[in-house]
Amino acid sequence: MGARRVRPGGELSPRALAAVMNLPSLVTLALVLAYPIYYAAYLSFHKVALAELRRGVFPFVGLDNYRRVFADPLFLLSLKNTFIFTVVSVGAEIVLAVTIALLINERSVPLSRMTRVLILLPYAVPPIANGLIWAFLYNFDFGFLNRILFGAGVITTPIDWVGNPQTALYVLTIPYIWRTLPFAILLVHAALQGINPELYEAASIDGATAWQRLRHVTLPLLRPIIVVILVLRTSFAFTVFEEVLAITQGGPGDATWVAAWYSYRRSFAPPFDIGVGAASAYVLAFAVGALAIAYVKMIYRRIE
Amino acid sequence: MRRSRLARLGLNLANLLVIGFFLLPIVTAAIGSLQSEKTLRADTRAVLPREWTLDNFRVFLSGGAQSAGSIYEQATYLPDNVKKIYYALGNSVVIAGSVTLLTLVFAALSAYAAVRLRLRWLAWLMELSVLARFVPIIVLMIPLYVTFRRLELLNSMWGVIIAEVGFLLPYGILILAPYFAALPQELDEAARIDGCTRFTAFVRITLPLATPALASFGAIVFIVSWNDLLIPLILNNRAEFMTVPVVVASLVGDVHVFFNLMMALCLLAMAPSVILVLLLQKFVVQGLAAGAVKG
Repeated sequence: MGARRVRPGGELSPRALAAVMNLPSLVTLALVLAYPIYYAAYLSFHKVALAELRRGVFPFVGLDNYRRVFADPLFLLSLKNTFIFTVVSVGAEIVLAVTIALLINERSVPLSRMTRVLILLPYAVPPIANGLIWAFLYNFDFGFLNRILFGAGVITTPIDWVGNPQTALYVLTIPYIWRTLPFAILLVHAALQGINPELYEAASIDGATAWQRLRHVTLPLLRPIIVVILVLRTSFAFTVFEEVLAITQGGPGDATWVAAWYSYRRSFAPPFDIGVGAASAYVLAFAVGALAIAYVKMIYRRIE
Repeated sequence: MRRSRLARLGLNLANLLVIGFFLLPIVTAAIGSLQSEKTLRADTRAVLPREWTLDNFRVFLSGGAQSAGSIYEQATYLPDNVKKIYYALGNSVVIAGSVTLLTLVFAALSAYAAVRLRLRWLAWLMELSVLARFVPIIVLMIPLYVTFRRLELLNSMWGVIIAEVGFLLPYGILILAPYFAALPQELDEAARIDGCTRFTAFVRITLPLATPALASFGAIVFIVSWNDLLIPLILNNRAEFMTVPVVVASLVGDVHVFFNLMMALCLLAMAPSVILVLLLQKFVVQGLAAGAVKG
């Protein structure tokens, strides 16, 4: 440390202090985020499978991994499934989040208070445990959902919830929505509390009905937070993994292969083709990255 | 706003529907875990079992010492991972605890520097933190595996701790920075006139004032780390280093383990974070809202 940098009284200059205080974060971020992001790109241009891992030599193959990924019908199917899964789950979440947030905002309804506490439960449940529980709910022979429907007299023969390739992907969105909906509800609820009650009073005096107040006062004021939820949830739904692992493992057939599942299976299951896995993960990262940049631009515009 | 009696009835019913949806998996796991395989197989249409039992919990809490034969008709063996459930619980506690502590310390240091020292590269660090929250964890898993393999950090506690801290840090910096910025700077300045350095002012003045933000974020970090599957799944494959979610995941597709035991394990896996969430409701809500709204 040069003498120039140390103030009288032994205090570091702001520049030196900033460097020292950020050292732990920078080292960790470099090791866990920066280097792996670079290294994933490196791996995606090299042949890396079991034999290469053992020898420690990864031959350069150029764009070969990407070519193989895009020539693989299973990858294209995974992308399509990811897209459908995202649109369905995020769309449903936004509608449900606004509805439930309005519901728990009702102070004169005693049960709303209980709902407000219980919506926090999904946070506490490990996604993989949630997945296994839904696997049990959906099970054809012993499943709990069929038991409930039998008990209610709704069905007479059991339903094979995730056994139908046509509907399995849609059925798979429900556990995911269960796990991630609270986040959206909490954000909408926080935004609702920021709305000035005088606006509602003014609208009532002007003779607006409850529906008109919702349509012309509440929803327009919720628009910014809905956009935030849309971007955040979309980027996370792109990477859905635990529910697929626990409930369908990609099946029946390949009906629920999604992008993250594809990368995982290519890399960590036979033939352990880490190069191809990295290339497919990078394609996913680019899709999410475009959304992330849009998000950053959006919130910085809001702050200014 | 006052509602008519009919409207209130409707709203209460709507609440019941929402509560029913959110309790469905929890109730399912509870009922499933409190009956034997025999009971579950005997009647495939009953919601509630004829006989209740705690045997599922006894079997794995005794590490398989208690015979599984009493409740398992066709399956008579317990996977090794489940036998070592106490290792997994210990590992999960150590990992989630260390990750919480380290993430809080690192994030607080960075956030304070970013807010009070106002250097340009620190502003970039903030923007990068927002971007970093979007990096799909599956993208990092592959290079992390290869890198940690080379550094001999596979099958160790440190590997998982370092990886999770790195993944949660950007989130922490984003939550703590606006909170520090909102604290009155005059307090820092007064402390410095009294002879504190910037750093001791941070430790003695800012950190104690930021206790609510630290608690909110700490609770969230602990829960995220406790629940995390991918990082320990890929980095650690030996039973001694597994965390609870990895043990749960290892049961996927195991034909010898029946749903009853799985549900009991799922309840065990969620218990600590459920308790934490219910105790710290207010902090959890604040932390979650802050993470998304304040950029």
